[in-house]
Amino acid sequence: MIVKRRKMDATIPAMAMGDIAFLLLIFFVILARARDDSHLQWKPAPGQELSRPQTMNASVVIDKYNVTYLNGREIPAVSLGEALKKILGENPAGRRTVMFKVHHEVTAVYFEPVIEAISEAGGELHHILKEEKKRQ
Amino acid sequence: MNLKRTKLLVEPPATATSDIAFILIVFFLVCASVEPDKGRAQVLPRSEPEKEKDKQSQTIEVELTRTAVILNGNPLAAERFARAIALKLADKTRDEDRIVAVKSRKEVPYSHWMQVTGIIEDAGGVITLQIEEEETVVVQ
Repeated sequence: MIVKRRKMDATIPAMAMGDIAFLLLIFFVILARARDDSHLQWKPAPGQELSRPQTMNASVVIDKYNVTYLNGREIPAVSLGEALKKILGENPAGRRTVMFKVHHEVTAVYFEPVIEAISEAGGELHHILKEEKKRQ
Repeated sequence: MNLKRTKLLVEPPATATSDIAFILIVFFLVCASVEPDKGRAQVLPRSEPEKEKDKQSQTIEVELTRTAVILNGNPLAAERFARAIALKLADKTRDEDRIVAVKSRKEVPYSHWMQVTGIIEDAGGVITLQIEEEETVVVQ
């Protein structure tokens, strides 16, 4: 007597694919940090041996039009110090990091008063630069 | 005679949802701008009153022009400046002796400023900014 072998179905359940994809989507959206200064136009200056700051408490940008922004909002350099003091509050050392993003062609007349204001507010400066390979 | 109505399939095709979701993932990834977040930390001492500054008689002074560096009055190229500042700071052990006052002209670009201050910090110097305060004088 010949017994016919039953054919096994080995298809991947396509219904689950949608769920997996949406879970991935949620994962990426949660991981994405809200950057409210991504619309600003600036090119970083080159630098070597760069490091990533451990905390980011405020972000100061000077764009290619020499305009200063604090956390994505335009602010006159004169009132930057006071605004930073409010943001940094009584944070302990190590939690007062100010990300400083300056367009590489901005001149000292614009960026030096901003550095001074950050320093006066007790901010810990972290210049954001572009990695430049070492010349051999 | 009764005719039986055929049932129409109204359920949306579920297999398309995975494609939609993957297209959305690709959209978000492409839209996400790759912003630089690496850089260099810089410690700047808080500004001091003039009386305090007078005590530091041995402060090294560096002046920046648009393209050049002037160390204690001598203009130097970047490589020579690195050697000269390292030599000047080599024998200084106290933090207050390692202070380097950086004075920049108005037209100095940020990239040049970062390059020079990077050299000073690599040599062990502590940077302070020397900024001229603007004063309005009313002439009568």
